Amino acid sequence: MLQRASPTHRGPRDSSSSASSRGRIQKRKAGPPRVDRDGDLMMDAEGSGQKRKSARVQLGDKDSSGGRGRRGRGSGGPFRAGNRGIINAQQAIMRGLGAKQSQANILGSRITSDGAMLRIDGLESSKAASNPDGGVESLLAFLERKASSLDSKSNRTVKIKKSSMKGDSVIITASPNDIEAIQKLDAFQFAGAPLSIKAYDSPSRDLEKKADEVSPSAQQTKDMFRDILATRYDPTLKLLNLSALAQDPGLINMGVFDGNTTTSKVFPALMAVCDGLFKSRQEKREAIVSVTLADNALVNVGNVSALAQKLPDIKNIDLSRNQISQLSSLDAWGKNFRHITTLILAGNPIEPQLPSLKDELLKRYPYLEILNGIQIRTAEEVAASIEASKFPIPLAAPDFRDVGQVGENFVRQFVPMYDTNRSALLTNYYDAQSVVSISINMFAPRNVKISAPIPPWAAYTKFSRNLVKINNLPTQMSRIHRGSQAINTLWNALPATRHPDLSTQPDKYLIECHPLPGLVDPNGQSPRGVDGLIVTMHGEFEEESDKAEKALRSFSRTFILGPGGPGGPPIIVISDMMTLRAWGPLATSQSAVAAPAPAPAPATATAPELAEQQRQAVAMGLVQRTGLNFNYATLCLQETGWDLEQAFIAFNANKERLPADAFATGNFT
Amino acid sequence: MAHLPEDLETKTAVDASETFVNTYYPTLNKPNGPKELADFYVRANPDSPLKPDISLNGNLVADPAELEAVFEKQPAKSHYEVQSFDCHVLNPNYNIGAPDDLLEPNKSGKKMSIMVMVNGSVRYGEETETQGFTDSVVLVPNWDALGKSPKGKRKWLIQSQTYRVIL
Repeated sequence: MLQRASPTHRGPRDSSSSASSRGRIQKRKAGPPRVDRDGDLMMDAEGSGQKRKSARVQLGDKDSSGGRGRRGRGSGGPFRAGNRGIINAQQAIMRGLGAKQSQANILGSRITSDGAMLRIDGLESSKAASNPDGGVESLLAFLERKASSLDSKSNRTVKIKKSSMKGDSVIITASPNDIEAIQKLDAFQFAGAPLSIKAYDSPSRDLEKKADEVSPSAQQTKDMFRDILATRYDPTLKLLNLSALAQDPGLINMGVFDGNTTTSKVFPALMAVCDGLFKSRQEKREAIVSVTLADNALVNVGNVSALAQKLPDIKNIDLSRNQISQLSSLDAWGKNFRHITTLILAGNPIEPQLPSLKDELLKRYPYLEILNGIQIRTAEEVAASIEASKFPIPLAAPDFRDVGQVGENFVRQFVPMYDTNRSALLTNYYDAQSVVSISINMFAPRNVKISAPIPPWAAYTKFSRNLVKINNLPTQMSRIHRGSQAINTLWNALPATRHPDLSTQPDKYLIECHPLPGLVDPNGQSPRGVDGLIVTMHGEFEEESDKAEKALRSFSRTFILGPGGPGGPPIIVISDMMTLRAWGPLATSQSAVAAPAPAPAPATATAPELAEQQRQAVAMGLVQRTGLNFNYATLCLQETGWDLEQAFIAFNANKERLPADAFATGNFT
Repeated sequence: MAHLPEDLETKTAVDASETFVNTYYPTLNKPNGPKELADFYVRANPDSPLKPDISLNGNLVADPAELEAVFEKQPAKSHYEVQSFDCHVLNPNYNIGAPDDLLEPNKSGKKMSIMVMVNGSVRYGEETETQGFTDSVVLVPNWDALGKSPKGKRKWLIQSQTYRVIL
């Protein structure tokens, strides 16, 4: 899109020698722009008002009957000159514009420029500074690697395009997305020294490279665009008013509408200048929440597609009184604006079809709450639907189908004993046939919000039996540990652990189990085997270490429990398989299912405490009264502390909102 | 309990689990994959009434047809990626559902039950964040593949599956 934007832009700039010179002369007539002590351009509301009055409208949109109406609205609305607060705000914006002059003054190059710059300090005090190249290479490699892994969910590789030294600082160039990712590494440790990563404006870059290229007229064009943007921005509402651009006296004055040109050429330029005013995407996101494109005679959004590239994070879009007739007219915005919550299409040919297009719109704009002023969903409903799409297989409460509390008793003993007394654990639950192995998943996805470094895996790697990596048979054989003695050796070599307490922090665990037939009969009686239990446990532990920082790891562990042989423990672990991965909080049903009532206690806390039969009986009671399926009934009961009456009340209050498969006829019965 | 030679047992189990991860998850990634899923699970029949035990995110799935419906609901372009897996032999002579003439131990390890634990990432559709999953699967012999016309049949089928999105 950046490439596409540039040729459309070149038009007005190339023609500016004739067209915009008129604007320039007019501006000169009005006197040189006033500059305050800091050299910032001063915004003079009265002055500009005068200027507008005297401006000759070169080319109004004669077809648009809304022209006069718009002006009236505009002057009476948030942009009315003479409102002290607005003037102050405008001055503040202009000051911001002034500070960013160097970036904003490259209207032409800014559009095609696909990079931004960062200044990194701290290299000189790192250990890498003694490298032959001063450590620059390893710093860049570090930044790329860390920024990529921080953002691992997007599976995107961060690339630094250019780097240079400025004194002790390293200046780097990268795409805006990558810049954003790299900026998150601010204050990270690199080779023993904290890094400082700041946005970098390169005044010299523009002065050196561009000063002689940028003609004074181009400079002035940019100033005028900034001027226009400032008058069209309402800082209180965080609204950028881009309505009725063809009637904008400032734009008309600049002569950018040369004959048949309308918003198609002005808009990308305007957006480019706007983009240049902000240091980061975040700054932009915070400054501009809403944009109105009303009264622009848009048949589709092709001419204003630049909005999607430059302001992808806006929440509210007003397209009132355009000529949009079908949903595909919005296609030029692509998948941007996924976060919009309000869309206004009043006064467009598409308006009568909107009710039937609702589902399509929701697919396109998953956060949409208000369509044409009508609330179609609440924020809670949006959140629930986002969660549902995140987990197409709903996250139900743990499926804990125990047999005679064997699974529960095992888990309750295993967790504390693994931390405090591994040899007693071996005696109680493992025998000569038990098999144990561990594997490491170093590539497990991580929540982007978690930036804690991953503690080194060194203590585990030589035991890892991750078969994705371990392809050699002798290693596959040596990394399996059979029998109490071998397991004892392994457990002694692994770091000591501290698991969260199962009864006080059940939310840190997700434990499921169900019967498993066909295990070896230790007494050799049954040729078809005996029944056991498969237990899966997902959780975390803290590694005991001499370091000050806590080393947390997440794990999944599967146990196969079966009857023990003669003379041994009654229940033994036939198989114990653990996978370790970088720490991250568990996805649990509480976060995924819209709770009918505030959860009084985490699901896993109450579940094992109530006897299995008792729980099932209560759940069946709810199934009979509500028609819910067993899983949803269980879920509902967990949210209401296993109080049947409360659960029934909660059900009645929420039944309209429950998905179809919550009921017994659904997919999960 | 007589175990198979360790190297044979290990190799057979690793091969079986490798084949499983290299076929099952790519099937989930295919647009029409859900329709092929039933083929991965044991089938209950009069000789072998045991049904597969399938638990997905805590939801019990009654049979592979229902499983298909569950996976049909996942957005197009869902992507599962296996990042680690490990396997143990649970029973070197698994006999549930075995025809009477196959009850004796098999010297080449074709009758084992195998515990496979898979850890990986899944992205539902293009816009959502990548999540982590753990899948604990017990593979058992496909008796049809040990019968008279074994050609083209999967050697191992899922008897038990506990799948969880964990992140």
